[in-house]
Amino acid sequence: MAELTYRDAVAAGIAQEMDRDPRVVFLGEDIAAAGGVFKATVGLLERFGPKRVRDTPISEQAIIGAAMGAAMTGLRPIAEIMFSDFLAVCWDMIANEIAKARYMSAGQMTLPLVIRTANGSGARFGAQHSQSVENWAMAVPGLKVVAPSTPADVKGLLAAAIRDPDPVVFFEHKGLYATKGEVPEGEHVDRLGTAKVLRQGSDVTVLALAAMVPRALQAAERLQSEDGISATVVDVRSLVPLDTKTILAETVKTGRLYTVEENPRLCGWGAEIASIVAEECFYDLDGPVVRITTPHVPLPAADALEDATVPSVDRIVETIRRTAG
Amino acid sequence: MDVVMPQLGETVKEGTVTVWHKKVGERVEANEPLFEVNTDKVETEVPAPVTGVLTDILVAEGATVDVGTRLAVIQEDGKPRGAAPAPEAVRAPAAPPPSDSSRAARRPAAPARGGEDGPPLSPVVRKLLAEHGLDPSAITGTGAGGRITRDDVLAYVEQRKSGAPAQGAAGERVPFSKIRKRTAEQMALSWRTIPHVLQAVEVDFAAVDRARTAQAEAWKAKEGWALTYLPFVAFAACRALPEFPAVNASLDGDALVLHRRVNLGVAVDLGGEGLIVPVVKAAADKSLPDLARAIHAVSEKARTGRLAPDDVTEATYTISNSGSFGTLLTAPIINPPQVAILSTDAVTRKPVADGERIVVHPVGVLAQSFDHRAFDGAYSAAFLRKLKQILETRDWASDLR
Amino acid sequence: MATAAHVDEATRLALFRSQLEIRLVEKRAYDLFLQNLIKGTSHLSLGQEAVAAGFAVAMQSDDYTFCTYRGHAHTLARGAPMVGVMGELMGRKCGLMGGKGGSMHLTSVAHGAMGSYAIVGAHLPVAAGAAWSAQVRGTSQVAVCFFGDGATNIGAFHEALNFSVVWKLPVVFVCENNHYMEYTPIRSVTAVEHPAADRASAYGLEHIVIDGNDADVVYRTAVEALGKARSGGGPSLIEAMTYRYSGHSRADPGKYRPAGELEEWMKRDPIALYRARLLELGTPEKALRDIEGALQRAVDEATEAAKACPPSPVDVIDRDVWADGGSSWRN
Repeated sequence: MAELTYRDAVAAGIAQEMDRDPRVVFLGEDIAAAGGVFKATVGLLERFGPKRVRDTPISEQAIIGAAMGAAMTGLRPIAEIMFSDFLAVCWDMIANEIAKARYMSAGQMTLPLVIRTANGSGARFGAQHSQSVENWAMAVPGLKVVAPSTPADVKGLLAAAIRDPDPVVFFEHKGLYATKGEVPEGEHVDRLGTAKVLRQGSDVTVLALAAMVPRALQAAERLQSEDGISATVVDVRSLVPLDTKTILAETVKTGRLYTVEENPRLCGWGAEIASIVAEECFYDLDGPVVRITTPHVPLPAADALEDATVPSVDRIVETIRRTAG
Repeated sequence: MDVVMPQLGETVKEGTVTVWHKKVGERVEANEPLFEVNTDKVETEVPAPVTGVLTDILVAEGATVDVGTRLAVIQEDGKPRGAAPAPEAVRAPAAPPPSDSSRAARRPAAPARGGEDGPPLSPVVRKLLAEHGLDPSAITGTGAGGRITRDDVLAYVEQRKSGAPAQGAAGERVPFSKIRKRTAEQMALSWRTIPHVLQAVEVDFAAVDRARTAQAEAWKAKEGWALTYLPFVAFAACRALPEFPAVNASLDGDALVLHRRVNLGVAVDLGGEGLIVPVVKAAADKSLPDLARAIHAVSEKARTGRLAPDDVTEATYTISNSGSFGTLLTAPIINPPQVAILSTDAVTRKPVADGERIVVHPVGVLAQSFDHRAFDGAYSAAFLRKLKQILETRDWASDLR
Repeated sequence: MATAAHVDEATRLALFRSQLEIRLVEKRAYDLFLQNLIKGTSHLSLGQEAVAAGFAVAMQSDDYTFCTYRGHAHTLARGAPMVGVMGELMGRKCGLMGGKGGSMHLTSVAHGAMGSYAIVGAHLPVAAGAAWSAQVRGTSQVAVCFFGDGATNIGAFHEALNFSVVWKLPVVFVCENNHYMEYTPIRSVTAVEHPAADRASAYGLEHIVIDGNDADVVYRTAVEALGKARSGGGPSLIEAMTYRYSGHSRADPGKYRPAGELEEWMKRDPIALYRARLLELGTPEKALRDIEGALQRAVDEATEAAKACPPSPVDVIDRDVWADGGSSWRN
C-alpha cells in the first residue's frame, strides 16, 4: 500500500493504463506541459511523449469530437474537460454523438473513450465552475458514469473506465484533489457498477457520492455518539451501471433510506434511486425515503455561502436525527 | 355457478367472510353449509346453492366485501364448465426491454387494516402485521409521535414467541373483542351526539307480583323458564307508548318520525363481552304471555349467538333490564336513532305507606333517559307516571290468562 | 487545373457509374416516398452526385468518410450495398443498421462510411479525431469530411478547422455549397461570399473553390488533397459549387428558389455533362447504355429485395447501447 493524494492517483491511473496499452492517448487543455490546472496529470507528457499526451486549444467540441473519432478508429482516448460545468459547452458531442453512435449504427461502432472532468464545489470559483453535474450524464442513455471518493477508487475506477469498451464520464471531485488515502501497490483495477459499504449500521442507510462520502461518514459517527442512531454508509461510486443489488439490500436491512447529494435537487441521482426503492422495496420501508441535497439553485461564490448551500455534516446529522423516528 | 355475498338484512351493505367450510376442489351438496358471514356482530351460516365441485374461492376468510360480490364458483354437476374467473389482467407489452421490466415489490396478502387514529403504519409494519396476523392496537409504538416501528412489531413477535404477555409501560394490554369494540363505538357516538336527560319513578310492584307469583309454578312447568318482572314492564310500556308517541319515535334531522309499531329492543348483557339489543317486532300487538315468550326467545338467541341480522334492527324503544344486578338506579345510554331508553333496576321489598300504615311491598325504580331534542321533561314525566300507573293498577291476572 | 487527359478511362467509367448509381437510387427513394414506403424524412442528393463520386473514386478503401444527413450519396459511393441503403430507409431488418439509425445516420464501417451526422457541423471534429487516430497509429489513412454551406457558420466548424491545422491532421474538409442553408440562401446569413473558401485563410489554408458538378474536376482536386494529407501536409478545405434539385428534405418543395434557377442548373446536370464528355472522349454509346441498363436492373432488384425484407424486429430495441450488445444500466 502507498499513500497517494487523490490528484496523484489520477495520474497514476492514467499512467498505469497508458503503460499497458499503446492505444491509450490523452488530450485536453493544459494537461500536458502544465500537468493540468489541478496538477492531476503531472509527468504524463514526460513519460509518454507528445504524440500520446497532447495539449489542445480551448475547443471543447473539438476535444470531445476528436476523442470520438479516435475511439471509433482503434484508439482508446482519454479527454479532459477542465471543469464539469463545461460539459455543457460540448454537450452535443457527449449526449447526441458519443452516446448514440453505437446504437444508431446497430453496433458497427464501439467507442472506448473516457471523458474525465473536475466536478463539484469547494474551490470558491462561483456558479459556472462549481456545480455537481453527474446527474446530467446519468440521464443520457449510452454513457457510463463514475464518481470516486478516495484515491484508491480514483486509480482503480479510472483504470476500469479506460479498459471499458464503452464511453465513460469520470467525475473527479475538485474538492477532494488534496485528500490522501491508501492505494494498493502495483496494478490496481476496480470494477464499474459496484458500490461500497463503508460502514455497517442497523437503523438507517445513507447513500453518498464523491465529496459527500466523507461527510456522510462523519455524520454517522456523530449520530451514533450523540443520538444512538446506527447508520450504514454506502459509497455509490458508479451511477451507471448502478449497483442496485447492494443499494436495495442495504435499504431492506434498515428500512430507512437517505441520500446525500451534492447535485442540485431536481432529478439528482438520488431521485432515481428513491424511485427504484419505492417501487421495488416499498413493503420494506419503515419510513419515507429522504434526500439531502443542495437546493435547486446555482452555487453562490462566497465561501460561507457555498458551504451553507451544499449539504454539510451538520445538515446531514440534523436531517436524519429529525426524521429517523 | 357463482356464489355471491348475500344481503343478510334489509339495510346490510357488506359482510365479512369468516369461515369457509369447504376447500377448493371439494365436492359440495346443495344446502350443505358452505361458508359463514359476519354482519354487524351477527354470524350467519350460508348453504351451498347447488351440488357440484367448489372450483374457485375468490374471497378469503377475514375479507369484507360488498353485497353481491362474487365469493366462489361451484362447477355444477352435469353443466358445462364456464369461463374461469379472470386472474389479474396481465398486459404484455409488445417487447418489454428486459433491463426495464418491472421489478415492483409484490403486495403482501391482505395487509392489516391500519390504525385509524394516530400516526399511520409504514409499509414494512403493515407487511409484518399481515404476515403474523397481528392487530396494531395490540402493539405499543415507540417511534416518533407514538408510531409503531418495524422494531416494535418484531419485538412484539419475539415476546409472543417466548410466551410473555405484551407489556406496555403501564401494564398488561388487552385488546377489545369485535363486539366490545362495536359497543364502545356506539356508546361513544350516542353520548357525543344526544343530550341525555334522566328521569325516574319509583314503582310499587305489588299488583304485578300477585299475578306473577300466582302463575309462577304453572308457568315454569309449562315454559321451562321463570316469569320475571321484565315482561310486565315491557307490556306496560307498550300500553303507555301509544299515548306518548314522541317517546316511540326517531330523530331525523329536525323532525321526529313517529313510529306506528312498537319494536321493542331488549338489552342483553353478553357476560362481559358487551351488550346486544335484540328486537321484538310489533311488541304492542302481543298478549302478555306472547310478549314474555318473545322476549325470552330473542334473549336466548342473543346469549347463544344465534341472532339473525334482522333480529337486531329497527327497534323503536328499548328496555334495559338491570334487575338482576341489584342496582337501585341506572342512567342508560340511548340507542340512536331512538329517542329514549328505559332501565329497570332491582325490585326489592321495602316499607311503603299504605294510607297511614307501613306495609312491605316489592318496589323498584324505573329510569328513562330521553333525548332532550325530541321532547321535554314534562312529557317524559307524564309518560313515566302513566307507566307507573299501569304497573300499579292493572288487572294483571286477566292479562296472564 | 489539370486537363481531362489526366483521368484514365477506367477511372472515368467508375466516376460515371458511381454518379449514376447515386442518381438512380435517389430517384427511386423519391418514388418510394410517394408510395409511403419510406417514412420520416430524407435528404436527397439529386444534382450533387459528382462531389460524392469524385472523392469516393479517389479515396483508398481504408480511408474514412464522414458526411451529413444528406448522406445516401456518400454511403453508396463508398460501396455500401443498395439493398442495405434502401432497406434502412424503409425501416427493414436488412437495412445497413437494421432500422435503428434511419436515413440521416447511414453508416457502413466496413466501407469506411463512418456515419452520417444530423447535428450540423458535429462531425467535423469527429473526422479530425479519425485523422488523429491515423496519425498516432502511423497509417496512411485520410479522413474526408463532407458538409454543407450552412455548417460553415456553426462553432464546431471553426474548432475543427483550427484544431486540424494546429495538429496537422490528415483530414480533407469538403463543403458542398448548394447555395441554400435549408430554406435560406446561404449568402443572406454569411459574412463572406464563399462560406468555406473565404474562411480558409483564417486557418492558414488555401482558398479552393471548384465546380462541384464536374466529376473530373472533383476527382483531380480530391487526388491532390488526399495526397497532401497522406504525405503529412495537413488538412485542406475545399468548396465545391453545386446545386440540389429537390427541396432541403422531403417536406420541402423548394418554393423559395427564384424562378428559373433550378432549370438553369439542370442544364448543367453533372451526369448529362459527364455522359457527353465520355462520348466525346471515345467511350462507345453502347458501353454507356450497358452500364445504364445494368445499374437500372440492379436498382430494381435491390428495391424488390428491400421491399421483400421483413420490418425490423422489436427485439433490437434494447440492443447495442453497450459494446456487450445490451443496454443494462443496473444489476
